[in-house]
Amino acid sequence: MTTNNNSNNADPNQPLKNYRVLDLSRIWAGPYCTKLMADMGAEIIKMESLSVYDSHRGPINPARGIAAYPDGEPGDEPWNRNGWFNCLHLNKYGITLELTSETGRNVFDQLVSISDVVIENFRQGSLERLGYSYETLRRLRPDLIYVSMPAFGNSGPWQKYLAYGIGQEQLSGMAHMTGYRGEGPMKSGINHGDPITGSHAAGVLLAALRYRKRTGKGMYIDVSQQESAVSLIGADVLAYQLTGEEPPRRGNRSPYFAPHNSYRCAGEDRWVAIAVTNDEEWRQLAQLVGGPELAGDPRFATLAGRLENEDQLDELISGWTADKKAYDLCHLLQREGVPASPVMGGPDLLADPHYAARGTFVRVNHEQVGEKTYPGIPWKMSATPGQVRWASPTLGQHNRQIYGDLLGMAPGDITALEEQGIIGTKPTGSRII
Amino acid sequence: MTTESSNNGSLPGLLEGVRVIDLTHYISGPYCTKLMATLGAEVIKIERPGSGDPIRQFGPALTPTPLPEGEGQKWDGAWFLYLNTSKKSLTLDLGSDAGKDILRSLVSSAQIVVENFAPGTMDKLGLGYSDLEKLNPSLVMTSISNYGQTGPYRDWKATELNLYAAGGLMYITGEPDSEPLKEGAPLAQLGAGQTAFVATMGALMHAEGTCQGQHIDVSITDYATNILENAMMQYSYSGEEYTRVGNRGYGRAAWGIYPCQDGYVGIISGPDTRWPEVAGIMEREELSDPRFASRNGRLINADEVDALMLPWLLDHDKVDIFKAGQEAGLGFGFVATMEDILEMEQLTARDYFVELDHGAAGKLKYPGAPIRTTSSTSPQSPPSQGGEAMGSQSSQEGEAESSPLTTGEPQGGHPTGQAQDHWVYRRAPHLGEHSEEILGVALGHPAAEIARLRDQGVI
Repeated sequence: MTTNNNSNNADPNQPLKNYRVLDLSRIWAGPYCTKLMADMGAEIIKMESLSVYDSHRGPINPARGIAAYPDGEPGDEPWNRNGWFNCLHLNKYGITLELTSETGRNVFDQLVSISDVVIENFRQGSLERLGYSYETLRRLRPDLIYVSMPAFGNSGPWQKYLAYGIGQEQLSGMAHMTGYRGEGPMKSGINHGDPITGSHAAGVLLAALRYRKRTGKGMYIDVSQQESAVSLIGADVLAYQLTGEEPPRRGNRSPYFAPHNSYRCAGEDRWVAIAVTNDEEWRQLAQLVGGPELAGDPRFATLAGRLENEDQLDELISGWTADKKAYDLCHLLQREGVPASPVMGGPDLLADPHYAARGTFVRVNHEQVGEKTYPGIPWKMSATPGQVRWASPTLGQHNRQIYGDLLGMAPGDITALEEQGIIGTKPTGSRII
Repeated sequence: MTTESSNNGSLPGLLEGVRVIDLTHYISGPYCTKLMATLGAEVIKIERPGSGDPIRQFGPALTPTPLPEGEGQKWDGAWFLYLNTSKKSLTLDLGSDAGKDILRSLVSSAQIVVENFAPGTMDKLGLGYSDLEKLNPSLVMTSISNYGQTGPYRDWKATELNLYAAGGLMYITGEPDSEPLKEGAPLAQLGAGQTAFVATMGALMHAEGTCQGQHIDVSITDYATNILENAMMQYSYSGEEYTRVGNRGYGRAAWGIYPCQDGYVGIISGPDTRWPEVAGIMEREELSDPRFASRNGRLINADEVDALMLPWLLDHDKVDIFKAGQEAGLGFGFVATMEDILEMEQLTARDYFVELDHGAAGKLKYPGAPIRTTSSTSPQSPPSQGGEAMGSQSSQEGEAESSPLTTGEPQGGHPTGQAQDHWVYRRAPHLGEHSEEILGVALGHPAAEIARLRDQGVI
């Protein structure tokens, strides 16, 4: 699917088409929350400051060759060309506004008064220091839903502390359980804390909007990114209380299934993931790996036996996979009823026939980047499928549209704001972690 | 600590009045419906008579579940206990006509059905969306599956390992010279459950506004690719493949997990303006070397930086290192064990855990609301006072001085603390615990008929 930048073709049949979100959130957790809402048709107004724009846009003057830019080329306006930013703000409007001046604050007040939701993930208390708390914002919009998502929530001894998704993997216990056997904990390739919190916040926010529709009541939603992350390892928190034993790091192995690992295949850094979940699947796999002799070997006939001899099994299977292509193995094993999948990298994903058939990824044209592939909408809804309607906004791209069409400001007044540096499209600074 | 059935206040669950027919098992679906149940929806979990959700038998166990005569006892494990809080359990044989009739009656009375059988299973039972929408046109039916309801891999079998791999997350996790690694927790399945929850909420709002129901197809692997922003976008934009970097951040140094005296800590060496603080904390003047001042400089000299940090790290405890970093405005972390989490002062201060009693084996502390909700009518607390004085007044991104968002004095006015108002917690149900209540009260079956259904093995 290809969409045109800024086509603005509002889809009338979208669950959230009547909701407006003033989105002050940055980096990933907050933007992922509002991305999910945008995917269902909410009007997301992403507000940034020219001096502290969303740091996911990258530095003002990045080095050349950073692969997040098209062909490694940052271009004249690198903040508009960063792929890591540009995949999280599809379907959103982008404006800039400085809250340091009285004029800017008056404009902000107007934006709040016409918004259903305000969401931010600043460090705890940052917005409050500017005079904006839930209570003050409610005066502008009595049924407002205000989502505040600092790292550790808005109370408690750590409330001022900061953490990124990588830190939440550690502080939630996820990293403790992840790693090669006998070795230390391992971070994930992404930072799971962010999308976990973004999804939790989006779901609860929708429930809160529905509740508001029935009761007229707004709501204060206090998100601790850490609590959100701990919620995903609850079973292990209970297990520890039952046994007194910390969960071990198992690499790719499982206490319930064996063999269960990733195995090297033909090619450079190519791997297949194979998971045997019962005795029948083992016999099918063993037949392929070592013929009837292995399939009939009593040492491996049961899960207990396979767990006991797992090193030997992994060696046997690795020997078998080493000269075969990962995709060929998966088709072969799935035909025999054995769970297997390629360990997919970027090129695999974009070329994969399954994802192509499902339209998992979308092609979107961005005015400064051209047409590129992005992750699409993470669900298929039969009646309200939605679509990616436009690319992530360049910095301040929709200033004229939002301040003019939405707030009804005269073109001259908007120009005045630009001249005073209260809005604009060129950053005056950046802060990059 | 919050306890059984309490939600810290008199407010109703956000989803009170919503009935969910829960045909899920294992992990992804149950996490989706757990979120609904703890937000106050009536979630009726349909389980196979005799054995129930297979995940009852996974993980350390607590509660005995009687099995049919001669098959002994099975035990409800930690996974089941956690993923099924606040739900009701109804046993139902969906292979029987009587069982199907009961399910159809329930679906007619519900707003939502969630299932995570292999694609096609519900259709084969005559209970697919096309069948159920006839009974209830505004029904929202959500199906969660490994690879989705369509596409060439629709029927592929998988565990979390396969899904994490096929979704692109595994290829970038682990050491460059070792095999790609999955997470310890089943984050692909749980995340897909979260995604299904979001989509279902949106569809529910749509159905209530338009009387138009729909079928939602959530694929666990689609979810995984949706959060693969770094690797996928880098390849999409520049054709350069993202690689595994172990515990060092991608294109970074001093950005990951390091050993310390009593465990492991997370060192975050940014932003550049804060790097001198790291040298100060670690009492190593050599770290102030201008060669290490920039992100790229640290990357080029990564081994040297590590070697300078390690002696101090190995001589200090994780919580002390974490706090030293935080007090200096750095986003340090530490690798929390389960014991650490249960005792963590921040979680305790926020009354995060919920204590639920499962009878014989006593009480356990459950992770509570993932998100705190306070409706605007609930009592407002004074401005929060809990924070320790921090060296900086910086934004979430770490730096402070010039930020227009960080000037002025705190104004107060946020409600704080007791904020699990809209969440409802009850222990996970025993197998079939609510069968009679649901058939009798919700569907109006007379007691004699319920007894007959039980004799026939339908429930």
